[in-house]
Amino acid sequence: MLSVRQVSVRYGRSVRALQDVTFEVPDGQIVAVLGSNGAGKSTLLRAISGTLRLHRGALTGGQVVHDGTRIDRMDPAAIVRRGVVQVPEGRQIFTRMTVEENLRAGGLVTPAKRRAAARDRVFALFPQLAERAKQSGAVLSGGEQQMLAIGRALMCEPRVLLLDEPSLGLAPQLVSRIAGIITEINDGGTAVVLVEQNATMALRVAHRAVALEVGELRLSGTADELARSDDVQRLYLGGHAESEAEAAAAAEHRPRRPRLRVWSG
Amino acid sequence: MSDSNRAAGDMVPGDGRWWRIGRVAGAALLIVVLLALPLYLPGEWLKVGTWMMTGAVGALGLTLLTGQAGQLSLAHGFFLLVGAVSYAVLSGPAGDPTYIGFGLPPVVGLLGAVLISGLAGAAFAPVSGRLRGIYLGVASLALVFLGFWLGRALPAVAGSTSSGRLPQPFSIFGLSVDVSRQLSSLSVFGVPLGRDERTWYLYLLLTAIAYLLAQGAVSGRPGRAWRAVRDNETAATVLGVSVVRVKAGVFAISSAYAGLAGVMTAWWTGIMKPDESEVAGSYGVTVSIAFLAMIVVGGLGSLPGAVLGAALVFGLPVALPLLTQSASADIGSGTAFSPIVITNFAYGALIVLIILFEPSGMAGLGRRLLGPARART
Repeated sequence: MLSVRQVSVRYGRSVRALQDVTFEVPDGQIVAVLGSNGAGKSTLLRAISGTLRLHRGALTGGQVVHDGTRIDRMDPAAIVRRGVVQVPEGRQIFTRMTVEENLRAGGLVTPAKRRAAARDRVFALFPQLAERAKQSGAVLSGGEQQMLAIGRALMCEPRVLLLDEPSLGLAPQLVSRIAGIITEINDGGTAVVLVEQNATMALRVAHRAVALEVGELRLSGTADELARSDDVQRLYLGGHAESEAEAAAAAEHRPRRPRLRVWSG
Repeated sequence: MSDSNRAAGDMVPGDGRWWRIGRVAGAALLIVVLLALPLYLPGEWLKVGTWMMTGAVGALGLTLLTGQAGQLSLAHGFFLLVGAVSYAVLSGPAGDPTYIGFGLPPVVGLLGAVLISGLAGAAFAPVSGRLRGIYLGVASLALVFLGFWLGRALPAVAGSTSSGRLPQPFSIFGLSVDVSRQLSSLSVFGVPLGRDERTWYLYLLLTAIAYLLAQGAVSGRPGRAWRAVRDNETAATVLGVSVVRVKAGVFAISSAYAGLAGVMTAWWTGIMKPDESEVAGSYGVTVSIAFLAMIVVGGLGSLPGAVLGAALVFGLPVALPLLTQSASADIGSGTAFSPIVITNFAYGALIVLIILFEPSGMAGLGRRLLGPARART
């Protein structure tokens, strides 16, 4: 079980990115983290993976606990060795290496005798990567690069996988492919924290979900509960008839702002 | 795979059986030639070879740091000095009233010098682990000036600038390198093995060990971690690579290589004394830059490239005057357009041409030439 307890994060002195965020990731479950741009979703993953310092951020309060051990003060490498592995935003594959070398780099912390089995599992999950094993990472398509980024993280044999916007910039059919892959990874027993702006996809695959707004936790519950929630419908799922009508009515009653004379003629 | 990727020395397994056979045969031929050369070459040409090997060992260390791990160091000259001084002190005579010495056997002195250079590189970890690329290059430059000052401030250790101290010649199990040809009791095919021949074989052995260790590291886990850090520090971090430790580690390894090259420099020059200027000399900024030139000319990250680059950058300036020796013997003025000046120009132009037309260096050139043969297999 991974627990995030009242975590607060700052970047530099002035930018408050997270405030008292608390939620849990039970073993073997997928937890979706929803939120708009700048809500603090990626920051939350960085706080868990211990990589805040790479982005000049720092945990100013709270704890991150994995299986009873505090991991928020650990070195990122030690967190990976515990099985908490992040796939960073923007894929960040090694473009100067081949697909195979990327996967080998992913297996650096995996004991040598288990590495071949881990690679076979990745190739079974992503047959395209096996076909393109000798090709440079730079020539892969966006979808393939995302698969490589996920596959590379799987080489670490994660127990908790932290995925940051895996559907970003991908065509709709690729998004559903990625969703299927996340479910498949989870079926193998790996818990997943899925940060997504594509709430439809995220709520379809997740067991539980939380929603962040300007660094604070606004909603949490099962994925079904959140999918039915009006707030989530309006904010992340494109809204529905009633709320749009309400919004239009609210706009009608909004007091008119004074206009400068030069504009009003 | 892109050219830059190949230049990075990523190990690509041979494509076919014939390619592999060709590689093994080529390596075997090279070994035979290198072993046989001292039987045919005169002493001054052997000295050119041993100077090239000295450069090769230092360049191997720097190409691991700069080519494989993407870190820049201008402190190679400093670590050469650390290695040379450590050897001179460890193996120097114990009772010397002028110079500090521990009287240890040369082989212990050699290993100790390599170890001390590595530790000196590790001590720079707070800087080398945190800085990147050109920033590390500039920061490491400070070490060259520190070495220059220390060398002059501690004549009992580093030797005085005027006379210097003598580095103990290498010997093991009673077999010394420092034996003149006339007195040599060892001979191969009727050729007596004197000082130059023995030095050649010692340097060849040291270079081969340095090369094989580097190759093992590059194709194994350390090399993968270096390249991961070089290519993307964020990605390397989230895969469990401790970036600070990897950067500090490769800096220490590179320093150990420079230390070995430093010991070889002291043997080769036959004297241990600090430089008289921070720019010119055996351990100054110019030498640091010469090592950078070697790995760039050879192809960043490529081990054979580092050796070839060393042969060019260290070898040519020593070899060309030998070819034009008779013509240059009467040149006194430094400004005369002498054959030595001409050879220096030619050597400079060659480096510019290589970088201009083959940015991935001699390693890239080699791949271009061997590529078609490899594709046919």
